[in-house]
Amino acid sequence: MTTAPDPSPIPNESAAARGRLQRKAGHVLYLAVVVLVYVYLLTPLVIVVLASVNAGEFLTFPPQGFSLRWYVAFFESEAFMGSLFFSLRVAFFATIISTALGVTVALYVVRFAGRWRERLRLFILLPLLLPEILTAIALLFFYYNAEALLRTLGIEVASGVFRNSVLGLLIGHVLITLPFVFLGISASLYNFDHSLEEAARSLGASRLTTFRRVTLPIIKPGIIAGALLAFIISFDLFNISLLLKGIGVATLPIQLFDYVRWEYDPTAAAVATVSIVITVIAILVTEKLVGLRSLRF
Amino acid sequence: MTDPARVQSTGTARTASARPSRRRWNPTHFLVFPTVGLLVAFLVFPYLNMVVMSFRNPSTSQVFAPGFTVGNYLDAILDTDLYYLEILWDTMVLGAATTAICLALGFPVAYHLARTSSRFKSVLYAFVLSPLLVGVVVRCYGWIIILGNNDGLINTTLMDLGLIDSPMTLMYNTFGVSVGLVHIFLPFMILPLLGAIQSIDPALEEAAQSLGASRLRTMLRVVFPLSLPGVQAGTVLVFVLTISSYVIPILLGGFSVMIMPTLVVQQLMDAMLWPFGAALAFILSIAGALVVYVYFRLTSRAIRGIA
Repeated sequence: MTTAPDPSPIPNESAAARGRLQRKAGHVLYLAVVVLVYVYLLTPLVIVVLASVNAGEFLTFPPQGFSLRWYVAFFESEAFMGSLFFSLRVAFFATIISTALGVTVALYVVRFAGRWRERLRLFILLPLLLPEILTAIALLFFYYNAEALLRTLGIEVASGVFRNSVLGLLIGHVLITLPFVFLGISASLYNFDHSLEEAARSLGASRLTTFRRVTLPIIKPGIIAGALLAFIISFDLFNISLLLKGIGVATLPIQLFDYVRWEYDPTAAAVATVSIVITVIAILVTEKLVGLRSLRF
Repeated sequence: MTDPARVQSTGTARTASARPSRRRWNPTHFLVFPTVGLLVAFLVFPYLNMVVMSFRNPSTSQVFAPGFTVGNYLDAILDTDLYYLEILWDTMVLGAATTAICLALGFPVAYHLARTSSRFKSVLYAFVLSPLLVGVVVRCYGWIIILGNNDGLINTTLMDLGLIDSPMTLMYNTFGVSVGLVHIFLPFMILPLLGAIQSIDPALEEAAQSLGASRLRTMLRVVFPLSLPGVQAGTVLVFVLTISSYVIPILLGGFSVMIMPTLVVQQLMDAMLWPFGAALAFILSIAGALVVYVYFRLTSRAIRGIA
């Protein structure tokens, strides 16, 4: 019994080999899914860029040669160029306003809010938690009713003074971008050594000097990261702009939306590529100035 | 707010004792006014106003007529053809399906990203984030080029190769809309999952495997249950985003895939029926909130069961 060779190793070995094979097949399947999802995520962006430099009317496989004619068409189109600059202006002002508001309110929430902190935080994040399309509808109604109210109070206002104006649109963009700036700045305020400020104060620096010379330089990466994110979000914002757009002025996403709904010409691809490039520049600037890791939430 | 310890720690103690009359008022409170003022004026009031709008009398010549009614809600709910309730149901089904597909596709990617030691990790992370940072119209346009029913990349390529005789209908149907929705909301699923999986100690998986559990079994019995908080966050996020999405269904589905946000915007912008549109928007919000609430209660119990 003890000398007889154990018959089990052979079937055991083959079972083990089969198990290994199965494990390997499973692992390959898992990696294949992962790779396919990445391909799925990136394909539309790559396709848009390819279509923009393709010579033909439609993107075919293989492509019909390289051409910049759709970029020429874009730069010659008054509607697209106008909306590009309009978008950049709106995003610029929305970023400035929401950054200024974000710095002050984040400072307050982190430092001084006391027992109101959590409630206040949630309140500032509301525009992010509520569906953007609902906020857009609510603003549309509100602007209309505010105009009517002003008129009944005897104040003469032009029709659409809020509803179809840059001001109304800008307020909507500030509402949506504010939570992102707030999150970025309050994250950098939480990870901040408090004793630095106390040291400055105890050495006689005023509250303002302490803020300017100590606090601000330390939270600067958070501010820059939050501001650039706000810029990107405002530049790409759709629903608010759709419902609050004035007559004759449209942001780039709206102009692009109107165009691709009815036309298939690749000028839209050139426009889309330019807007991808603007986003990539904003991200690279963030990375260069403060490192993408400053985008902590 | 006048808690003495708090005042001490923010460094106003000296001022407070020198000028006791100003003790109750801290000038830092001014920091909060601009933002809170903006949010009250342009978020709280507009939402309250929208509630009022949904109870206004409809009018054909103006935006609304004087007086109030619950008729807008009743018209939508008691419609004999069940037209609006069917659209609401379709919206919820689309939301649930998108969420399920996002979870199935997002989980392997999140797990891989959490555990990989590849030096391309930050590049992969950027890939996951990239769709988030590119406008939704641009991403939909990419899908239009690919899926187009006549001149789309897939159809022209397959016809050139002789694999199909006539173009397939890939767009302006539920398929096209789902492809777009999953693509655009996938990052919102992956990011919370990533956070949850990163916080799981890899030693637990090693322990399970050294005790003889297969990779799949380890996934299903160890990793997935421990990442449930991330699953909960991601699924709620994707569901809410899907049932309130407008651009993607309109661009990839046209009016042949009618869901609530499309209907609401159509009522507001084309038909100019503001009170009815507002009522529909609230019906969608309430239904969505109910689904999320029930889901949250059920999954929270499961999470507590594990913890």
